[in-house]
Amino acid sequence: MPAQLNLLDKAESATTPRFNTAKLVELWCAEPVFFASRELSDTYYTEGAIGNYALAYAFGWARSPYRLTSSEAGRPRYIEDLTPLNHECYVLPAWSANGSPTFRFERFNALSDAYWYAMTNNRVATAREDVLRVRRGDKPNTFRPSNYPQTGRLRLIERNNRFHTLVFGNHDIPEYIRLGKFMSKVRVQILEEMPITNLPAAEYSSQAYFSTADLPSGINLLSFDLISIPPTPLVKNLRFHAEAWQAGNFIVPANLQFCGGGVQSGV
Amino acid sequence: MSIEKLNSFLAPTYENFPKGRMISLVTLRTSLSELILRTEGTGEPMCREFVQAGSTGDSRRQVVQRLVMTKRKQVAPERRKGREHLRAYNLLYTIKKKEEILTCSLNTNAPCEMCIDCFLYGFAAGGGGAQKSRIWTEDAFSILTATDTLSDRTINAIFETGTMRDEKGNASTALNTSEYIKPGVHFLDVVTLKDVTADEFRYLTGNILLTGRYGAVSSRVGRMENQILGIFGGIAELPSSLELVQAIHDQFTTIGTPLEHPLDNGDLIDATKTVIASWTNRRGVSLQLSDEELAAVIADVDQHWSDAEREAFLRRLDQSYEPFRQVGESKKGKGKKKETAEAGS
Repeated sequence: MPAQLNLLDKAESATTPRFNTAKLVELWCAEPVFFASRELSDTYYTEGAIGNYALAYAFGWARSPYRLTSSEAGRPRYIEDLTPLNHECYVLPAWSANGSPTFRFERFNALSDAYWYAMTNNRVATAREDVLRVRRGDKPNTFRPSNYPQTGRLRLIERNNRFHTLVFGNHDIPEYIRLGKFMSKVRVQILEEMPITNLPAAEYSSQAYFSTADLPSGINLLSFDLISIPPTPLVKNLRFHAEAWQAGNFIVPANLQFCGGGVQSGV
Repeated sequence: MSIEKLNSFLAPTYENFPKGRMISLVTLRTSLSELILRTEGTGEPMCREFVQAGSTGDSRRQVVQRLVMTKRKQVAPERRKGREHLRAYNLLYTIKKKEEILTCSLNTNAPCEMCIDCFLYGFAAGGGGAQKSRIWTEDAFSILTATDTLSDRTINAIFETGTMRDEKGNASTALNTSEYIKPGVHFLDVVTLKDVTADEFRYLTGNILLTGRYGAVSSRVGRMENQILGIFGGIAELPSSLELVQAIHDQFTTIGTPLEHPLDNGDLIDATKTVIASWTNRRGVSLQLSDEELAAVIADVDQHWSDAEREAFLRRLDQSYEPFRQVGESKKGKGKKKETAEAGS
């Protein structure tokens, strides 16, 4: 813990930015992208932003295993997977390139592989022999409501949407990535490479999106809009008082790092 | 056989962490009967989408409506096809949930986590674990526009009297017009396999080639034929199926063949092969099988799925996961240790 704190002090007191250049990157959705940002009854909403943790995994900066076993399944691994990257690279959450992303709705139903099935209370029953029991007035297990989605509606980010984000550091970015619950194909293009300049502590406003967990400690947040999504809420239209990095027209708080370097998160 | 040609992109055994080996299959799906693909329920229109016709010059500014075959409408029937055989040879495992003993079944919140299907296509929210899918499909697009490929059909279900009125004189309500996709419509699709072994590759490819029905009411309509036109190996993915379809549109425009229904299968295959021939020049895509090698790989797959070899092949693939089944079954502490060792390797 103390060692980690030292690291943080070093990063903050440094007058030169950790990264020399930032890339403005465009993400083009070749397919509709779905994240379960909000779940309202049987409708599953995707917000119009793409989280930077998702991007870090999608870029292949961090690898997650194919199979999660019970001990790991209940707990995210962001701190273990992402904080080691902090001195090499960073990526901001992606925002819609034209300001207003478009969405589409889709209905889904999940049927079983049995020849016989019945739609009961939010459940696909497959035990044909239980029908007779139901007719007698019993309520067998196979006909009881279930707590996992069997039918519903999805709001997805529509195909052809373009998102922008800033990538710091020199880690590779693949040409195609997969995003979201359905592994949707997204094309990645570098639009511009810009040098980063350090700005002294003052009041700035920023057009980029930020992950709240990644903001540096000691930053003074004056005003912002909050997008409340897991795993960390995002802020946009941020006005802040702190040191800043400038890349092209973008001004962002200085010393952004995944999970605040793991320190502020209490690790 | 030339499946060895793919060796550097095949995993020697199942491993829990990704190693950046990708094999991509360019798949042509052709409808052979009326086909219904929709995501909004009965009576709603087919899945379709406005997209740019091509990717260069004028065609880029021309917007057309193409039919879409969504990812889940491809993968679901294909994994069911494989599962039919796993069930036939008792290769689906059981799990004990409360007092019930359940056999692995899709969408019952009780995956066995042990069978070939669970290992390959993944599962979530099972007994506290999850497995990611190593098969990535893509929304497939029709080459032709929705207006060229759709038609309407009226259905009326008459009573046993042979009329639209029953014995009491009540009129039947079973009169309906619904949209369908014509036979002979082509969808192009890029399927990506990540870190699969040779036998897993054979299993997946077999599932794709053996699946013959897709979409709604699959038992009566939805006949479709799959062909694999290209197999690629590399560390990166191929372009998306939309880009493929757009490039083929441009290719047809260049050679001056009109794009209209019914589209000649041979012309389309030639155009597709021309487009994908340059894909090995893309970043991260290093290998494309030649036509002969491709044919040999498909023959190899057919051989393994033949009556004589199928059971032995599936049992061998099933057996290959045995080490991973024991980790889950052993004592908790022991299992954890093993996992960390694996993660570090």
